[in-house]
Amino acid sequence: MARHVRPSEYQPELPRDKLILNEAPADENIEVDVLIVGAGPAGLACAIELANLARKDNESGNGIGDLSIAVLEKAGAVGDHCLSGAVINPTAFTNLFPDLRVSDFPFRAPVKKESVHFLTKVGSVRMPTPPTMKNHGYQIASLCEVARWLASRAEEMGVDIFAGYPAEAMLVNGHTVRGVRTAPTGLDRDGKPMSNYTPGTDVVAKVTCLAEGTRGSLSQAYFAWQNVTTQNPQIYALGVKEIWETKKPLDAVIHTMGWPLPRTVFGGSFMYPLEDKLLAIGLVAGLDYEETGFDIFQRFQEMKTHSFFREYLDGGEMVEWGAKTIPEGGFYAIPDRRYGHGVIILGDAAGFVNVPALKGIHYAMQSGIYGARAVFEALKNGATSAPHLAPYDGLVNDSFIMDDLYRVRNMRSAFKGGFFAGGIKAAAMTLTGGKAFGKKIAMKPDAAVRKHIKPAEPFVPDNTLTFSKVDAVFKSGNATRDTVPSHLIVEKDVGEDVARMYQHMCPAGVYEVVEGRLQVNAPNCVDCKATDVIGPRWTVREGGSGPAYKRM
Amino acid sequence: MGGVLVVLEQREGSLKAVSCEALSVGRQLADQLGADVEALLIGPPGLDRGVGGQYGADRVSVVASDDLNLYQPAAYRDAVVDRVRAGEHQVVVLSATAMGKDLGPRIAARLRCALAVDVTSVEASNGIRVTRPVYSGKAVYSLSITGSPCVISVRPNAFPAVDRASDPKVEELEAPSTDARCRTVQVREPETARLDVSEAGTIVSGGRGLKEPANFKLLEDLADAIGRCAVGASRAVVDAGWRPHADQVGQTGKTVSPQLYIAVGISGAIQHLAGMRTSKVIVAINKDRDAPIFKIADYGIVGDLFEIVPRLTQEVKTLRGG
Amino acid sequence: MKIAVCVKRVPDTETRVRPGADGKSISEDGVKFVLNPYDEFAVEEALKLKEQAGAGEVVVVAMGTGASQETIRHALAMGADRGVLLETDARSLDPVSSATILADELRPGEFDLILFGKMAIDDYNHATGVVVAELLDVPCVSAIAHLVVADGKGKADREIEGGVEVVEFTLPAVLTADKGLNEPRYPALRGIMLAKKKPLEVKPVSLQDGAISVEGLSLPPERAEGRILGEGPDAVPVLIDALRNEAKVL
Repeated sequence: MARHVRPSEYQPELPRDKLILNEAPADENIEVDVLIVGAGPAGLACAIELANLARKDNESGNGIGDLSIAVLEKAGAVGDHCLSGAVINPTAFTNLFPDLRVSDFPFRAPVKKESVHFLTKVGSVRMPTPPTMKNHGYQIASLCEVARWLASRAEEMGVDIFAGYPAEAMLVNGHTVRGVRTAPTGLDRDGKPMSNYTPGTDVVAKVTCLAEGTRGSLSQAYFAWQNVTTQNPQIYALGVKEIWETKKPLDAVIHTMGWPLPRTVFGGSFMYPLEDKLLAIGLVAGLDYEETGFDIFQRFQEMKTHSFFREYLDGGEMVEWGAKTIPEGGFYAIPDRRYGHGVIILGDAAGFVNVPALKGIHYAMQSGIYGARAVFEALKNGATSAPHLAPYDGLVNDSFIMDDLYRVRNMRSAFKGGFFAGGIKAAAMTLTGGKAFGKKIAMKPDAAVRKHIKPAEPFVPDNTLTFSKVDAVFKSGNATRDTVPSHLIVEKDVGEDVARMYQHMCPAGVYEVVEGRLQVNAPNCVDCKATDVIGPRWTVREGGSGPAYKRM
Repeated sequence: MGGVLVVLEQREGSLKAVSCEALSVGRQLADQLGADVEALLIGPPGLDRGVGGQYGADRVSVVASDDLNLYQPAAYRDAVVDRVRAGEHQVVVLSATAMGKDLGPRIAARLRCALAVDVTSVEASNGIRVTRPVYSGKAVYSLSITGSPCVISVRPNAFPAVDRASDPKVEELEAPSTDARCRTVQVREPETARLDVSEAGTIVSGGRGLKEPANFKLLEDLADAIGRCAVGASRAVVDAGWRPHADQVGQTGKTVSPQLYIAVGISGAIQHLAGMRTSKVIVAINKDRDAPIFKIADYGIVGDLFEIVPRLTQEVKTLRGG
Repeated sequence: MKIAVCVKRVPDTETRVRPGADGKSISEDGVKFVLNPYDEFAVEEALKLKEQAGAGEVVVVAMGTGASQETIRHALAMGADRGVLLETDARSLDPVSSATILADELRPGEFDLILFGKMAIDDYNHATGVVVAELLDVPCVSAIAHLVVADGKGKADREIEGGVEVVEFTLPAVLTADKGLNEPRYPALRGIMLAKKKPLEVKPVSLQDGAISVEGLSLPPERAEGRILGEGPDAVPVLIDALRNEAKVL
């Protein structure tokens, strides 16, 4: 009798032949100089820096001329799919806009007080804030609002942003990336064109910048196709988050560890004040958890019942919910090459996330800035082949991005052995600037980690403090057309144990077990990508599908 | 001279029930204005002229012609406009039915006067003041109307029909000619046997509690008994393929605002509630006393829907007289 | 075939509606604006008719603030040829007021057809298109769910209570579109790019308040606490009684 499930055994392969098309673009295509896939912080910073460089170049005479920059975004509007805590290090903003002051940027409030706590089922203990987690001088923000602000700046500078146009596949010629093909719209549940069917469009560019965010499909396909190696496989955590209007004000940035996560699960919670009585609260947990019944969504709901959080949440109202994965592999999981012929990869898609500090946004933006500089030089020289884009890697490698990530390179992996052992190792690493436990700790991909078959604890939401997945998805603003064709590639007949594991893995209730069989409610999907990591593979849907986050 | 003119609506020679409501509204307004109310009947010959006397009309004017059996926009418009010009009425009242929503604007355009559509309350004090729902029923406007005349269409089923005996003077008026450029040529049966949920005045919706698709027959029987009632479905059963997505209430299905919404075997997830919470009256039938739907329902019955629904169907049939 | 389509920029129906500071309109904080869904059916129908005729022009007209240019661009991205914005910051709930300005703009255009959505999802007036038709003195069929046009004549279906009215009319005419008329196309990326170059004329206009003034915008009254009438089938007669005599909906 099987007592474990190894997710990788049930995971279909990445559909590379659908993601990479070695064919000429359609006759009716759109041509631009630079195409950026993804209107998140990395993609938009890249667009803005490019526009900046072009403008300065033109002002100085003998300039590059009109540079057409297009950003494609799969969400119906910029910001709709952006989700983060977030506490942002403003350095990338000041690098991007040297003439602006911090008060000009779309931040909600500076971090004034902060504390870290260890929770048990019934109590909490304040811990000293680990040095890697000090946030003084940083800014609390909503990533949605950041993205919208950046998008407005970009559009003011002449960048074209097309929201509602997911890139479904890359168009390549030999080893050169030529552009992308967008997803069609108007297909019915069986994939047949309806009366308002519109086919996708081919967008051709001299350079394509992939800024798809966590677990981007085209990025994955590119690295696999080009056999780009990493020292460790990328690993992921899943974060679920809510925004609450509260009666009691919160005045500190709070992080907790311990309950409700078992010792074998890496992660913790955050609670940040966006406004006096508006807070963001969430729980993050590694997807290499060890039991099939572990349900991060459920743990988060239960977490809110702890008096530590109830103090703020009681009497309040949950106004938004969302979920997203975070690449946690750090330094050793970053691909060895993030550029190629006609292509560069930015941000979370390349894995630039500092897990111990919980920071990724300023790295994403900075990588966008470096990407823009490299691309601009290449365009000036009239050549966009790999050697001409290679300086992008050089800029990143020589910068604080890699410095920071190198210093904390083993911290996440240290927790592989459990919370306390990990805590000791992490402390040692911090004290020695990364020299202790400095050798790479090998990690397995999340899907290769066996999960012990164990049913979930029963959970009944009270609909005031805790909610069901169905209700949560509604609060994500998800208004996906119910008849879109399913975008998930599911292995046939996974069996009940695996089906239950999927059910608990997915925070949006996409997977249910009905009479022992897996039922897939694809329209529920909020594009968090957890499924792509340890479950059925994720692919793009028609533009505008998925959540519509307002202040996530 | 002056007063209120109420345009009554007929279908195949019989007066529609909503017209009695409109007439009662007209009577109340006339009382507030200290003026008369006149009922205007437009349609084929042979219409019952007596209804005016049941709801307090002071006068009844009749515009009858074979050409006017079906709603002919230009001719109906002219009948009303001519009458208002002759009678100098202050307020014209119609029901906000399909006809009323088409006719009202035409009258207001020709008279160059104010138009308030689908009002849920109206009173004559400091001018004419109305309230009307907007933004899919999520908000209510309070409006004041100046100028005379003004045209007001009242929401069907939002006002009571109040019996008031009167002895109106009946006058036959000449029927205007129809417009050759635009003619209603027929009224036929709708293609779908069932009403669409977004247009129905009553909806009976089913959820997972029905256990299997065939059991929706119970709801269809209830809908038939109630009459002009649509059958809706929760997202769960639409996802399971039991019902077509056109029937779905909530989530990306429809937001509905019927007079009466009966939720059967539906627990009340937020996404469903969001789709039907502006219904005037909500009834819930569910075996779980703690189901969230009971918090929003005006009336609830806890128990086995397989026993309750057939009983409800039976009682409604008896009520309807057959 | 020369067709005009009148469109309006409205708040998305999923919007959380809250009265604004003035108590007379909704707060626009966090509100997403879209092309009025019923107007989308009108735009789509106009495009189909032009495609069917093989030649012609589809002109999109909107009245509103400068932001309505986005709304016009959406229609241009779907395939309309040019746009006109009658710019004003004023809003009027008096359909005759708004329609007068639209009619004045449309009159000289000599359009074969002028299409509207049957109503806007904010004001729910169901009136503007019909009033415009009357002001222009052309035939009008409202809330159509099916349309056939040929040789200067048309036939349209409109849903009424318990039936479908079939109306025959001659061109030029005004039609207002209802759900079910068609499935609007999603603009292709190419369409969006081309739309940027299509002509969009902005004309300032002065919109009068008309004879209707807003005293207030409020949220509907909270539902009164409901009650469970009983258990099992024996509670049914109690329910029927309540529905008939208390709620008066049966």
